[in-house]
Amino acid sequence: MRAILLEFRKIRGRKIWVTIAALFGVQCLWGMWAFRDMSAKELSQGYIQCLYRFSVFNTIMMPMIAAITASRICDLEHKGQTFKLLLTAMPAGVLYDAKFICASLHMAAVGAAQAIFIIVMGKAAGFTEPFPLDHLFYYLITTTFVTVTILALQQVFSLLFSNQMVPLVIGITGSFAGLFSLFLPPGIQKGVLWSYYGVLTQVKMNWDSETKIVDLQYIPVDWSGYLLLAGAFAAIYLTGRWCFTRKER
Amino acid sequence: MLWNVLRGEQMKLKRSPVWLAFFILPILPAFMGTFNYLQNIEILQDEWYSLWTQHTLFTCYFFLPATIGVYCSYLFRLEHTNHNWNCVMTLPAPVLHLYLSKLIMASVMVILTQVWVGVLFIVSGKLSGLVGPVPPELFEWLIYGAMGGIVICGVQLCISLIIRSFAVPVGIAMAGGILGIAALSKGMGAFYPYTLLSLGMRANSPGGPMACSLGQFLAGSLSYLVVSTAAAIIWLSNRDVAAE
Repeated sequence: MRAILLEFRKIRGRKIWVTIAALFGVQCLWGMWAFRDMSAKELSQGYIQCLYRFSVFNTIMMPMIAAITASRICDLEHKGQTFKLLLTAMPAGVLYDAKFICASLHMAAVGAAQAIFIIVMGKAAGFTEPFPLDHLFYYLITTTFVTVTILALQQVFSLLFSNQMVPLVIGITGSFAGLFSLFLPPGIQKGVLWSYYGVLTQVKMNWDSETKIVDLQYIPVDWSGYLLLAGAFAAIYLTGRWCFTRKER
Repeated sequence: MLWNVLRGEQMKLKRSPVWLAFFILPILPAFMGTFNYLQNIEILQDEWYSLWTQHTLFTCYFFLPATIGVYCSYLFRLEHTNHNWNCVMTLPAPVLHLYLSKLIMASVMVILTQVWVGVLFIVSGKLSGLVGPVPPELFEWLIYGAMGGIVICGVQLCISLIIRSFAVPVGIAMAGGILGIAALSKGMGAFYPYTLLSLGMRANSPGGPMACSLGQFLAGSLSYLVVSTAAAIIWLSNRDVAAE
């Protein structure tokens, strides 16, 4: 707990939340732009459309938000060359855990802010679809879980490489791969960590090529996808922690 | 003097893996865009032109601006660390040359990326079995795309000079690219720096003319380059350096 509080004290002047809030603001602006002038039919599918489009948009934005947050939280140690000093006061594993929890809380806050934004937008735009509390809660859990898993990967690279170009390029490439894999078959999607916003979404789009009508529907939770993601998270986190604790400084 | 400063920049980048990002990134859309094109070939019927949209659409809006942001942050990282601004600002070189050398280095990387994008496009088309000739406009798309990319370099270098963090300018580039979609949809593409790349590359209308006039495109590009260079020079001339 003290190590986590220490992390928050270290970043108090760095205004990390400003960057996160600004990127979230861009997401909100996009949301308001995408959901303007809705027809009666669109209003009757308001929340489901929100959940679908935000999942796609998260594939582009959230990996970058995770990469930037991890980079900023880890880069301060590289810049100040403080690893040697810190590791005389606490075990490397504790420092690794504290940084991860600190960054994860920021990610959870973004997920919660998104859920609140969807609720507020639904009220403001006058969505006529019944409020899907369970689906919104699932969206919050999924978004946070996928982002935290990506964050774990980003933290590994941000801590192991003092050159922050490496983790940020991985973030951009991953985001790119995630977006493209949304157009690929589900089997391939499950092999790309960054595409899990789409893999685990509870909304499916049906497109009738004959009538050119697009329809959205809720689908059951993909528990196998969840299990795969949990396995990936455990593997990334434990491998990263092992590498960090054994790294010579 | 500019030549000497340029050689200094070259030495700083020697054996740096930064070029790998620009090498790898276009391979992804080339591979996945071609795959997507082949999957939807019955809808995407404009052959080379349809393939071009698959290769460039997402790249221009989201990923190339962010990658340029990473590169520009990297170009200033050495100065921002280890008290190096003290050393740089006491060099017998005008600040204009210091800034221009970085802009030239970033521009060279953007031009090489455009050449690589062109090569990948032609190879992908041939492998996809496209029998028609390569679009004669390809060279024009790449040239104007490079111009748009250089404008982003100018703006991002200015941001990376002012903001000492590595990651924040990358976030700004990402947000800039995304907000560019709104600027384009409102017909303001020529007046917004991050859309000049997609406008120049005709990312969403490869068969037709540019979404703005050539004069607007050139005026927008030149204005942003001049303004960003002027802002950087004023900043370097008037601000006392803060070295970490």
